[in-house]
Amino acid sequence: MIKIPARVLIVDDEKDFVEMFSLRLEGQGEKVFIAYSGKDALKILENVAIDVVILDIRMPGMDGIDTLRQIKILHPIVEVILLTGHGSTETAVEGMKLGAFDYLMKPADFKDIKVKMENARKRKDEQEERIRQAEVRFLLRRSGDV
Amino acid sequence: MNKHYDNKLRLLIVDDEEGFRRTIAKRLAKRGLKPVQASGGEECLGILKQNPMDVVVLDVKMPGISGIDTLRLIKQEFEKIQVILLTGNVAVSDGIEGIKSGAFDYLTKPVEIDHLVNKIKQAFEMTRLEEEKQKEFEYRAKLEKKMIDTERLASIGTMSTGIAHEINNPLAIINESAGFMKQVVSSPEMSMFSQKDALLMGIEKIEKSIKRARKITHQLLGHVKKPESKFSEVNLKALLYETFGLLKREIKNKQININWEIDKKKNIVWSDPYQIQQVLMNLLSNAVHALSENGSITLSTREIYEDIILEIKDTGIGIPKENLGKIFDPFFTTKSFDEGTGLGLFVVHKIISNLNGKIDVSSTVGECTCFQLSLPKYTNQTDNDTPR
Repeated sequence: MIKIPARVLIVDDEKDFVEMFSLRLEGQGEKVFIAYSGKDALKILENVAIDVVILDIRMPGMDGIDTLRQIKILHPIVEVILLTGHGSTETAVEGMKLGAFDYLMKPADFKDIKVKMENARKRKDEQEERIRQAEVRFLLRRSGDV
Repeated sequence: MNKHYDNKLRLLIVDDEEGFRRTIAKRLAKRGLKPVQASGGEECLGILKQNPMDVVVLDVKMPGISGIDTLRLIKQEFEKIQVILLTGNVAVSDGIEGIKSGAFDYLTKPVEIDHLVNKIKQAFEMTRLEEEKQKEFEYRAKLEKKMIDTERLASIGTMSTGIAHEINNPLAIINESAGFMKQVVSSPEMSMFSQKDALLMGIEKIEKSIKRARKITHQLLGHVKKPESKFSEVNLKALLYETFGLLKREIKNKQININWEIDKKKNIVWSDPYQIQQVLMNLLSNAVHALSENGSITLSTREIYEDIILEIKDTGIGIPKENLGKIFDPFFTTKSFDEGTGLGLFVVHKIISNLNGKIDVSSTVGECTCFQLSLPKYTNQTDNDTPR
């Protein structure tokens, strides 16, 4: 089966981490986009149809949770996986309540990342599929009325 | 009335004049005091070495070691004994000298027996008082030390959390870099590279070390907390059963006996079940490790005021006294690094403190170790208080 690359956006102020992580994901055949701050991430989301955002919770300026809130308002279907280097799982849980798909502790196992990313993407695809079907039903009903 | 002192007051009377000594001893015996007798300073000290005494009545003027010197020696070696001096009529200065050297009081000969009895009783009361003071002092010192320990552990906890976080970020970079290199080296284009295997081995060693470091940082952060965790009523017995289920194989292999002394009603606490289970898992697996074959673990609960006390006692190797004060410190371990990080009990202490509980340990080497957990008990009072 040919793999359809996921469009992944990595958001973290740790440039070294973002660089290496994106190389690794690209090596796995994903299409990777990079942002070093919450604001940059929102700009990219405006222009590119991203599937999954991998978002660091602790960032200077606009932090991960604020960024997550904005993403969920502006692009509710995009799935977000939170990254934390901290024991503040409470923050991660808060993030999930705000609509994040899941969270990971740094340094994360690549297998875990892959599984969570695939599941996140699957959920997004399914949601888009349901929306498409609803639209189709809506159109059919309308045409039936005429 | 004197009967009260019969068995408790241990009295020694020291005088070289045998007739005088015997008479006094007889009279004291009539009043319910049965003194041991010594004829001089040396004999007195010999007796004290063998038999503990509360009060010594001591003649000042004696051949051999003088009364005052005997007094000094007594006070040097047996600090708690109270000494009453008997001085000659004219030698008041001896009495004063004696008090300076630590005597309880002095009486001048000839002594009035009731006067002497009263003095002895007063001296005895003094020993009791001193003993109580000493006990209170020890208790306070222990309490203070415990408070300092808790504060120290809390500040270590805060610091270690910070360090763990700061280490996790660079660790994540190393992790992704190594992972990427591995990906590249494993690709088909690299199949002709002669040192590919050696390179892969190196990368794998990096990855293994990352995992080891991560185990420590994640443990320091107490990461096992489940996202869905929240406070609820927790049945300790049920949770203990569940935890034992996870240790079933080891318990069976070692043929460990589990004694359940859990009070049916008094084992419900108000807490976070996931964190409590993490604590129980730590304590029970420690207990199992400490036991040899056919050892036993005793579990009991009781209620003290607003708390439930859970005791986990094992008949294992025990913990040496010098280690007892350190077992909650991070990285304190007697195992090698692949067996334990020395963080288990540190995290246990952190969790229990965060849950408004207390944890204590006592142990006798070669006999047993007992962990005491104290947690707020569950009361459904809050339900009744809310208006309906």
